[in-house]
Amino acid sequence: MIVANYLVAGFVFCAGLYTVLTRRNLIKIVMGLSLMEGSTYLLFISMAYRAGSTAPVLVGPPGGRTAHDLVRGNVADPVLQNFCLTAIVIGVAVTAVFLTIVVRVAQHYRTLDADKIRELRG
Amino acid sequence: MTTTDERGTRIRGEAVESEPKHRVVVGMLLTAGVAAAFGAALLSLPRAHQQLSEVARYALQVSLPSWNLTEPVNEVVYGTRGFDTFGETFLLLAAVISVVLLARPREPRTGYFGEDVAGEREQSEIDPGGAPDAEEREARRAESAESDGESEQSDESESSDDPAAAAATAPFPSKTSVEHRPKTPDNELVGGRGPERAEAMSIVVRGAVRTATPILAVTGCYLVAWGYSPGGGFPGGAVILGVLLLVYAGFGRKRVARVVQPKLMESIEMAGATLIILTEALGLFLKGSFTANWLPLTPPQTIRSGGVVQLFSGGELVEVGTGLIIAVFALLAMSHDWARDKSEDEDGGDNGGNANDENRENDENASRAANAGGADQ
Repeated sequence: MIVANYLVAGFVFCAGLYTVLTRRNLIKIVMGLSLMEGSTYLLFISMAYRAGSTAPVLVGPPGGRTAHDLVRGNVADPVLQNFCLTAIVIGVAVTAVFLTIVVRVAQHYRTLDADKIRELRG
Repeated sequence: MTTTDERGTRIRGEAVESEPKHRVVVGMLLTAGVAAAFGAALLSLPRAHQQLSEVARYALQVSLPSWNLTEPVNEVVYGTRGFDTFGETFLLLAAVISVVLLARPREPRTGYFGEDVAGEREQSEIDPGGAPDAEEREARRAESAESDGESEQSDESESSDDPAAAAATAPFPSKTSVEHRPKTPDNELVGGRGPERAEAMSIVVRGAVRTATPILAVTGCYLVAWGYSPGGGFPGGAVILGVLLLVYAGFGRKRVARVVQPKLMESIEMAGATLIILTEALGLFLKGSFTANWLPLTPPQTIRSGGVVQLFSGGELVEVGTGLIIAVFALLAMSHDWARDKSEDEDGGDNGGNANDENRENDENASRAANAGGADQ
């Protein structure tokens, strides 16, 4: 029932989206964005799953299988695992930039409330 | 107080978490719409019995014969889809550069017509109209005390973190002064009042960090070096960051300051980026395609068995490790750029204020008056 994983990923994404849309605290908005990123990791890894498959490592396959069986399929999708690795690094980078901006905003306006930092000052 | 927001208006509902929100209805509608669209899309995604995609099957077939790699994920990351990883590396680099730029303290701007002086005060104050309030003054004092303490401590000779040395330098750690912070909290009473001012953590944490960091550092390098098993440059780099953060948390800023210097870190990061560019570009020149292997392949399950993949992975370790270190420490070290606090001089009596200062103050009063006039219109 890998569909459950898909739906949980969709739910986590929506939770993140709702956080971003309705919260006023900037830190929580960044947390919402991180939730949305996290949901994509879950989706990628779930989509890489194949029923009765094994890890895509061509060494010492589990009993009854040879490396040839692995090559012909019936392993988890390595490309989607690659996407997940890429997504994690990009997520970290984007979160770092967001947090830096939040710190600067907090220092400049003395508030983390997104509704209060609309005005231009100085 | 818990049921009202900042403007004093009551928040409806229970004050379980009295956090102000906005656009709740719009947010719910949009989220519901996205949820419906996602639900429909996710339900029609290929499931667990789907054949592997063409790319994946190609990667699995090509991994052992032409790269001598037993780990197809590494082969995909640094070989078949190497261009993707290449772009991602430089996205990370761009993010690190933006963090460094944003986190950097303001540079003194020396314009031709004194623009550095003109807007200086307004730029760095919360409320340009009025004098700093008590809260702002407190924050300024704390921050300047911290930065003074930092410069003072950097001159101090490096002593070990054992409690005896700490006791010798600070027999009775006073909790009120920020400048004379004890090195470790070992001599302080457990459960004492007030915030703990020590730089390092207690002996339990320090012992654990001492034990864990060598293991972690070796693990990080192992993940990269044994590239024919799961691992690679990204997890390795993250582990290296973890090692440094553990040392920072356990032993305080001074311990890592010798290693985490902006110049050193940035040079290493650029060296990693150069290594990656060279690795890939040489494939283009020698073999006619980007990410092509131009190194001799050793037998499978040896350290160099991936050829270029391993080189790319090593470069990625350097790049990701130092990039994350730079970003995290730039964030940790961000300080507020304060303007000089004029009101404090006024209450505290002038300490032989020189003519130059008075001139500047007069200028500022004039500009304040001008601002007020502008606001009236």
